[in-house]
Amino acid sequence: MILASAGSGKTYALTNRFVRLLALGAKPERIVALTFTRKAAGEFFDEILNKLARAAREPAHAAQLARDVEMPALGPADFRKMLRVVADAMHRLRLGTLDGFFARIARNFPLELGLAGQFEILQEHAARMERGRVLRRIFERVGELGGAQREFIEAFKRATFGADEKRLGARLDRFIDEHQEIFLEAPGRDRWGNPARVWPEGSGWLEAAGRRESAAAELRAALASGELNEKQRARWDVFFAELAEWSPGAPMGGALDYLFKNALKAWPELTEIMVERKKHPLSPTAGGALRRLLQAIVGAEFARRLEITRGIYAVLAGYEAVYHDVVRRAGKLTFSDVQRLLMPGDGGAPALSQSAADETRLAIDYRLDAEIDHWLLDEFQDTSFGQWMVLRNLIDEAVQDPTGTRSFFYVGDVKQSVFAWRGGDPRLFREIFDHYNESRPGVIAEEHLVESWRSGPPVIAMVNAVFGAAPAIAELFPGEASAEWNREWRDHESAKPELGGQAALLHAEDEEARFALALRLLHEIEPLERGLTCALLVQKNDTAARLADYLRREGGVPAVAESDLHVCTDNPLGAALLALVKAAAHPGDTLAQEHLKMTPLGALLGAGSLAAPEALTRHVLGQIHADGFERTMDAWLRRLEPHLPKDDAFGRERARQFAAAAGLFDATGSRDVAEFIQFMERHTVREADAAAVVRVMTVHKAKGLGFDLVILPDLEGTKLDSRRDGLAVQRAADRSVEWVLDLPGRIFSGQDPVLAAHLRTVEAEACYENLSLLYVAMTRAKRAMYLIAGAPGKSTSRNFPKLLATTLGEESVTVRVGKLEMPGAFVAGDPDWHRSLPPPPPAVARPVELAPLDPAALRRSLRLPARRPSDEKAGVLEAAKLLALDGDRSAVEFGRMVHALFAEVEWAGRPDIARWEATWLARARDQPGLARAVEVALAGLRAPELAGVWTRPTGVPQAGVWRERTFEVVLEGAWVTGVLDRVVIERDAAGRAIRAAVFDFKTDRLENDAAVLARYAGQLEPYRQAVAKLAVLPVPAVTCELVLTHSRRRLFVPERGR
Amino acid sequence: MEFPRRHFIPWGQPLLPQAVAWLARGWAGVGPLDLAALLVVVPTRQSGRRLRAALAAHAAARGQAVFPPHVLTPEALPAPDSAAGAASRLESLLAWNEVFREIEPGEFREVFPVDPPVRNFDWAARLAREFERLQNSLAEAGLRLGDVVARAGADFPEAERWRRIAGLERLHAEKLAAGGRRDAHEVAIDDTRAPAWPEGVTRVVVLATPDPRPLALRALATLKDTMPVDVVVFAPETEAAAFDAWGRPLTEAWTHRELALGEFEQRVHLCADPGAQAERVIAVVRAYGAADGALGVGVADPEVLPSLESGLRRAGLASFNPEGRSRRGDGLHQLLAALAALAREDSFATVAALARCPDFLEFVRARNAADFSAAGFLAGLDRLQAGRLPADLAEARRQAPDNAGLAAVAGLRATLTAGAFPANAAAALGAIFAARRFDLGRATEALEAAAIETWMEAVREVQAAARSFGGVTDAEWWDVALGVYGESTRTEEKAAGAVELPGWLELLWDDSPHLVIAGMNDGSVPEAIVGDPFLPEGLRERLGLKTNAARLARDAYLLQALAACRAEGGRLDLLLGKMSTAGDPLRPSRLLLGCADADLPRRIEFLFGTVAPERATPPWRRTWQLTPPRVAAPARVAVTALRAWLDCPFRFYLSRVLRMEAVDPAKTELDALDFGILCHAALEAMGKEMALRDCTDARQLREFLLGALEREAARRYGAEVPLPLLVQFESARQRLSRAADVQAQTRAEGWVIEGVERKFEIEIGGLVVSGKIDRIDRHERTGAIRVLDYKTSDQPVQPRDAHLRAARRGETAPDFARFAGGETERVWRDLQLPVYLRAFATEYPGERECSYFNLPKAATETGIARWDGYTRELADSAWRCAEGVAAAIRRGEFWPPNENVRPEQDDFAALFHHGAAESVAWKKEGAP
Ligand code: SF4
Repeated sequence: MILASAGSGKTYALTNRFVRLLALGAKPERIVALTFTRKAAGEFFDEILNKLARAAREPAHAAQLARDVEMPALGPADFRKMLRVVADAMHRLRLGTLDGFFARIARNFPLELGLAGQFEILQEHAARMERGRVLRRIFERVGELGGAQREFIEAFKRATFGADEKRLGARLDRFIDEHQEIFLEAPGRDRWGNPARVWPEGSGWLEAAGRRESAAAELRAALASGELNEKQRARWDVFFAELAEWSPGAPMGGALDYLFKNALKAWPELTEIMVERKKHPLSPTAGGALRRLLQAIVGAEFARRLEITRGIYAVLAGYEAVYHDVVRRAGKLTFSDVQRLLMPGDGGAPALSQSAADETRLAIDYRLDAEIDHWLLDEFQDTSFGQWMVLRNLIDEAVQDPTGTRSFFYVGDVKQSVFAWRGGDPRLFREIFDHYNESRPGVIAEEHLVESWRSGPPVIAMVNAVFGAAPAIAELFPGEASAEWNREWRDHESAKPELGGQAALLHAEDEEARFALALRLLHEIEPLERGLTCALLVQKNDTAARLADYLRREGGVPAVAESDLHVCTDNPLGAALLALVKAAAHPGDTLAQEHLKMTPLGALLGAGSLAAPEALTRHVLGQIHADGFERTMDAWLRRLEPHLPKDDAFGRERARQFAAAAGLFDATGSRDVAEFIQFMERHTVREADAAAVVRVMTVHKAKGLGFDLVILPDLEGTKLDSRRDGLAVQRAADRSVEWVLDLPGRIFSGQDPVLAAHLRTVEAEACYENLSLLYVAMTRAKRAMYLIAGAPGKSTSRNFPKLLATTLGEESVTVRVGKLEMPGAFVAGDPDWHRSLPPPPPAVARPVELAPLDPAALRRSLRLPARRPSDEKAGVLEAAKLLALDGDRSAVEFGRMVHALFAEVEWAGRPDIARWEATWLARARDQPGLARAVEVALAGLRAPELAGVWTRPTGVPQAGVWRERTFEVVLEGAWVTGVLDRVVIERDAAGRAIRAAVFDFKTDRLENDAAVLARYAGQLEPYRQAVAKLAVLPVPAVTCELVLTHSRRRLFVPERGR
Repeated sequence: MEFPRRHFIPWGQPLLPQAVAWLARGWAGVGPLDLAALLVVVPTRQSGRRLRAALAAHAAARGQAVFPPHVLTPEALPAPDSAAGAASRLESLLAWNEVFREIEPGEFREVFPVDPPVRNFDWAARLAREFERLQNSLAEAGLRLGDVVARAGADFPEAERWRRIAGLERLHAEKLAAGGRRDAHEVAIDDTRAPAWPEGVTRVVVLATPDPRPLALRALATLKDTMPVDVVVFAPETEAAAFDAWGRPLTEAWTHRELALGEFEQRVHLCADPGAQAERVIAVVRAYGAADGALGVGVADPEVLPSLESGLRRAGLASFNPEGRSRRGDGLHQLLAALAALAREDSFATVAALARCPDFLEFVRARNAADFSAAGFLAGLDRLQAGRLPADLAEARRQAPDNAGLAAVAGLRATLTAGAFPANAAAALGAIFAARRFDLGRATEALEAAAIETWMEAVREVQAAARSFGGVTDAEWWDVALGVYGESTRTEEKAAGAVELPGWLELLWDDSPHLVIAGMNDGSVPEAIVGDPFLPEGLRERLGLKTNAARLARDAYLLQALAACRAEGGRLDLLLGKMSTAGDPLRPSRLLLGCADADLPRRIEFLFGTVAPERATPPWRRTWQLTPPRVAAPARVAVTALRAWLDCPFRFYLSRVLRMEAVDPAKTELDALDFGILCHAALEAMGKEMALRDCTDARQLREFLLGALEREAARRYGAEVPLPLLVQFESARQRLSRAADVQAQTRAEGWVIEGVERKFEIEIGGLVVSGKIDRIDRHERTGAIRVLDYKTSDQPVQPRDAHLRAARRGETAPDFARFAGGETERVWRDLQLPVYLRAFATEYPGERECSYFNLPKAATETGIARWDGYTRELADSAWRCAEGVAAAIRRGEFWPPNENVRPEQDDFAALFHHGAAESVAWKKEGAP
């Protein structure tokens, strides 16, 4: 186990570990290394290879690496060997994401996991569409309401208790977003809003819930005799009036709220209460009545919340039942479905195992072609309990392997636990360590890395000043969060004391000022010109987009928001194209229609006489129908191109992105316009990673990255320890869900020991997560870091500015950076650090161009366009004919049979016909399907008009016949392929051809001669030419005839142009 | 005699011309080049085409033509013999399907360790595809499922599982036998014992086919004593030891081989992603101009293909994918899917989807002659949905009985539900296309006809199969047929000069001097199969199936040959991506690491380096401003318009003057307006009911209100409404029933309803403002008049808050809209109640007040909210404001827009980017 502080070389340690295993002789394919993002996995692999490559090439690197892996004897040759081993095993390596690893296992055990064959991983858009389908299914109604539907409505009413809700769809959508994961984790009805689980000992509040009115009456009576001044009495009167009107869930009136709160302050003694700024002593009777009243109010609220929770459960259960039916069973899974599928335990999947012996386990070695000896898990603090459960048995087997040839290695930093909200469970770190060491002490060793290889002394000084200030943190956030933090904290050191730089806290009031200050810093420091990497970190994606745009617009800084941009809708061009599609599919959408007219598309439509809705609808729907969205959009973009300003690189980039997004949509197979619009509206693109740019991103995304210069201009915000909204989920030590509750407001929950304890826990978790977030943000910088925040002044909110002020000081100082002077509160390092940097290394060489070959020396290959005369389409087809169920097909089949029969005939003079008749009729007796073809073929042989086709020509020395011969020929620069039905060639005594006759059989019913000739003349011309070549004849010596088997006639086809 | 006999064509020159020369050797050029007695085996259909074209060109160079050889791929050997009763793929799938639906999974525990979640047609169909694929993989090597256990060897860990699988296969065979069919794989395997050869063939040549399937070789082996078989290897004779007798690269020889790839770092190009690869390709295509025959482009990783195709298209260059495009994306598929849905159910969503198929619109037009408008029909559907939310076709027709389009849908629905598939499908399609004729001379119509032909083939196949398989519903047959259709591909005509984009296995036969291959990433080249639940690599090895190792050998050889034949006078460029479209990291092809160990570190650093970005990200910039037309200012408006103008003059212009209104196709429930209208209708009815004027009995009032609500709901939405509407009706019911209490009370207090829905018109500064007052009450004792407006928003509203807001910092509202009379400056946001009062000033000159009748969601907050402190001063200020607004409207002042509207609440958000005012440039006066 390695607890690696930020910048302490986690990846370095991990890659070293990998190399060490290799050096010890482990086969690379027997090492599993798992991370969280695909990008990290890719980089991890690149890093191993590059590390080995460097060591293989340079002795100095080799020596360093040998030291790092604690095998000093290794030299470049050894590393080269390892490099080859890894390269050869590349395709078998198991470096990837946890999700990917799980999906792979599930793919190998579909039937064992109750899947029907392969499954598809639902991506975001698809998941939305599926949800829509499920909701529609729930909503649709045939005849009487079904029992399930009735129940669903009931549940919904309970879930929204009293506060009746008009919008079912919208509300449900939110429900599912918020609660589905919880439901799937705790699908048991008894965990939801079950008082016996929340309060196993019973709850006094709940018991009192029904006694509101009686308690109120008692209190009123008790107060009647008490000493009250005028004002106080009036207050109480209003109180009682409001109380009578109040019901759980309704807002409390002014007096009700006021006295309720004051009473709680005096809780539980209730010997006196503040009323109108005066103490109002309460008699024991009054106190008792007030206590009961408060209990009843709180109890009623609790009861309501329990009911709501159960309602939510029922709604989700109803939704899930349908979802499961319609989506999962159809093989569409999300990554978390896959993970749940693999989760062992009650009714879940069998545990994964590497030993095949046990039938109740899934033996992965054979199926995955994997024998895994070593496990490397990265960013372990982000591992969720569920993920660990899936892996646990495999890792147990490795850790407990008696031969000691297997290993488990995990690394992470609990101080960087910023993904708790999506399941990351930092407590696992320690629990696993304890668990294994308990059974075999020392089996897992612990190591701390606190030396930062990333940050220089000023940055580290500031980090230590903030996060090492244990007393200040404890005071600001009393309780478990700070205790935990301070326990894990160890002061950092910089492993790069030579790295000059600066760290400062600057003050600026509002967002605009903070952005402006960031821009001034960039202009002063000029990071890109000096070859420095630079990032601005913010809390939210849209802030990133805004800030990047601000820097580009106001400062000309090449900034890239590494956030998700809505490229299809964030600009007029995309908006107009969407309006075009909307207007076409929904001609009544006057917004879209008018919108179009206000754009250059309007003029284009007018010019194409598409201005009228009818024309627009027909044209655009037709385009989409025939070609899909991408091609349609492309066509319009091409037409719009001249209307874009010449230098509008942005517009053109968006045009490209728009069309690409449309292509992605087309790939879903849908042509539904509404779905398309939804897809495009949601579609986002991450701006490309690029070297020479200022990067703007969220702290979450910056995790794992380092930059020379980091600016944090977005640190404002609310309390660090406020609980996330949503259902409260109480978990047992083994993370199983104990209860779920729609938590009443703090004023209610705070009174109950169970709920208050829950609140303390989750608030501590939230606080810890937020501390982690700031820690991650502040440890990204290598040389310089500037925090820009408002001075908290008198504000008491426990937010980041407050934390910084408490730990770094509030006294205003002037911070100098180069020639800039700014107000701030803390500064360390060298104000001129950026001026003393060495010149930047030369820019990266441009990629090698794909130069064309020298045209002079070019030896081109021959590419002939292809033609197939028999395919040459002509004429008009009736749809009805195409659509006849037993029509066309049999005609083709019939034609083929007749052709085949004729192909058997070399010559057929009168006497031969009887022979053919016998053979064919016999055959038709065996194959009744042949009968009609035989009949027609025989009639063809017998027909006097056709005799010339079959009989050997007389009067020439020799004659030959080609039957059903395929040919290839080049005619007029095109490659022509065809089949000659029958060609009769007359030859002279020397065997030289004199004349040839081409016969082409037509077996279908045909119109009049003129039409037939018109239709086939073109087709036969290439035959004539081909035969001339094949038989070595001049073209005029070849005649062509159509043989119409239906009417038993021959039609002479004149040579074209004659 | 040696069998087969190997020949070598050296790879120093391109394959194709050499192959042609080899086949035509001995032909003197007199008479046709007659190769009809030859059977040539080539690796792919496309290579066969190339070969035949090259033969034609070869003969043409001597003024001659060719009788070509029989050209077949190994997959076509042995030729399937339909007479032997081999089942089609569809029949096989259906047989599997039936097997899976009939078996008891408990009896096949080793195959189904847990009971499947549900055993329906769909589940079985997916398993069927899996098993069919499995049979296919095994058949390549001449094995059946039942052969696995025997072949896999003694220590095979899954022997029992495969014994059970073999049992399933027997059931499958029995199913087929019942319909007089045999499993096609079995037939093919049997056929290799005595295969049938095309008539007239006397010799076989296996031509540069490095990877024939073993089954084909087994068939060829039977020729040992009857016919000569030549194997032609594209490699120099010196490499003879690197190939086996059939010309396959030997794994031992190729796995670790150093490949000669000259100028490596100039010829191998690392790119960021498919898009970047496409750009490099496009640049080089451009550099060649239209020089056909100089440049070949290969696509090793199919993922790059879409980027390449669209990139080329955007650059104005045509491309051609010889694989064709899946029919799943074509127009007919959309129409068929819509029909299948309609056959299954007649929900309104299904109708709306079908209505947007052009073929359907064409059909309705043809039925209704000239007076049918597609746009009108679609707009009508949207209106119907917005206003009536019909659940299904029947309800929609009830609401719009004369709608020709809906009648057409109903007709189709009747056709589709009468009779059985495929007759009903054919009838429906026949109806839609009844009047259509396809002119095959026109490309688009020929394509349409071809699509229909393909569909009909699928249908006929289904029809034939259906004879042997029962228990399948119509909907399932639809799915089956659509599946068959969707699996087919369509090949478009190759446009002249189009860039062909062949796949990796086709490239050996490409003789372009300059070849660029995109997608040289591991997994694609060498191709690797991972994650097979039945046939893991270990088992493949045991069974002698094609392994990843064999694929590596093949691909190493191919790459070497591709490079070698361009070493002189040609060029081979290889592109590889660092990342996939979806953002997965990619690795370079392992083949690129086939170098001396000493060079490996450098190669690694080169191939695993970072990629320079292809393009900079330009800052956001406005591509154009919207130019709204200038339309004459209205002379009359509704009273609500005043509020709209105050809120935002420009949006007022858009919504009230240009009448821009969006359609929400996803609407499934009442919006706030619908909901209000519904409640209003009930309340209005109550107000008009003279019998209730003096009623103070809440129960009676409630009964009336709920009755009125029910009637109105039924009138507007029909008897059977979807679930969300039920919930909303329930909400309305609750609100109205509380309103009954309030009404009873207010009547008891002496307020009598004087009038409801009172229309008025009033002129304000030359602008006629019209409106309708929900209700006017008169107090029976004091005679006071009060004007009431019903509010059904979720939260109760106070009239004062609704009409006035606090002034903002740097307030921009015009002077007339400000009210400075109170403690702080306030700004008018609505003038509704003041205008009401003014409108009836003459009629009711006495004491007057105004109130909202709130029907919010919280029960306790239902009630009448009076505007307390509505002073003369306020009334005057409101009137001044109304005059100001009216004058502004008359003058056509619709500027500036309100920049403070939150996008999620802005109906016009789509129009604005980075500021509403900035987004607009009014058309110059007089401009068109
Ligand atoms: S080229 Fe495309 S956009 Fe232009 S008119 Fe034809 S279909 Fe419409």
